[in-house]
Amino acid sequence: MSEYNDKELLALFKDVEKRNYAFNLIVRKYQEKLYWHIRKIVIKHEDSNDILQNTFIKVWKGLDGFREDSKLYTWLYRIATNESLTFLKQQKTKYLLPIVDYENNLKETLVSDVYFNGNEIQCKLQKAVLDLPEKQRIVFNMKYFDEMKYDDMSKILETSVGALKASYHHAVKKIEKYFTED
Amino acid sequence: MNDFNKKLGKLKGNTNPFSVPKGYFESFPTELQEKIIYENREYIWIIKLFRFVKPQVALGLMIVAFALIAITTVNFIQTNSSNSTIDNDLYTRTIEVDASEFTEQHFIDVLLDDKKKVNDHSTEDSEFYIHYLIDEDIDYQTLIEALY
Repeated sequence: MSEYNDKELLALFKDVEKRNYAFNLIVRKYQEKLYWHIRKIVIKHEDSNDILQNTFIKVWKGLDGFREDSKLYTWLYRIATNESLTFLKQQKTKYLLPIVDYENNLKETLVSDVYFNGNEIQCKLQKAVLDLPEKQRIVFNMKYFDEMKYDDMSKILETSVGALKASYHHAVKKIEKYFTED
Repeated sequence: MNDFNKKLGKLKGNTNPFSVPKGYFESFPTELQEKIIYENREYIWIIKLFRFVKPQVALGLMIVAFALIAITTVNFIQTNSSNSTIDNDLYTRTIEVDASEFTEQHFIDVLLDDKKKVNDHSTEDSEFYIHYLIDEDIDYQTLIEALY
């Protein structure tokens, strides 16, 4: 989509006159990847849209101070993940729901959601993923759906590669159990 | 576990089960820009408002601070005056003794009150003497004649 790589985009952003243009390019380059990452965590489109907007607003405000210690897309994913987790926490405290009830609520949303067109098996897989603890769910989504490398995941989630591998292994086992039991 | 991993791999081969409203990704950057502009305007408006009301707020705070100091000082003085060496009874008496408060009627009342007290006292004494004379069988008629 964009002919610029991340370094060039960041250099462009530092130029005050081209700041808006550079930010627009960053949004266009990463909006879909981040949207699907967020969507798999919070399930609903409307919530995903709000979180994606908040993510990019934080990026807009923080891009000046971005020190390029990490890659741009790692930083973007980290903000999106944190925003999604914060959103889930807020929802649970807002409706005073225990974790299990909130996940059950999301499962019901999945069935009635007009923006979910999956078949029966895909729906079952999503429900099995929703049964996982939040962090395990994020690890599974990043590895299984986004096919992300463990090294990159480690930078985004600030967790060791070993812990991520173990987390993914446990997640797959739980999903297998969900499929065999049902 | 391996069989299940293969099964999972096959599942992934299918299309994305989630979808978005038509034209969502095309319109998202514009919506985002509008939101950022709106937020910036709101932020600038708050800053402008704050700059405008800053002197008034400072003046208001000064008045409030002055009022607080005054109230605290008055309270402090009142608390200390209640602990003074002059007690309430003495204070009341001092007020009562103030000559300007006295009237003629006040003097008359006081005099009548004193006379009444004396009369009560003399009646009590007379009765005591009469009982004494009766008990001792003294010829009080002779005494009366001698006295008058």
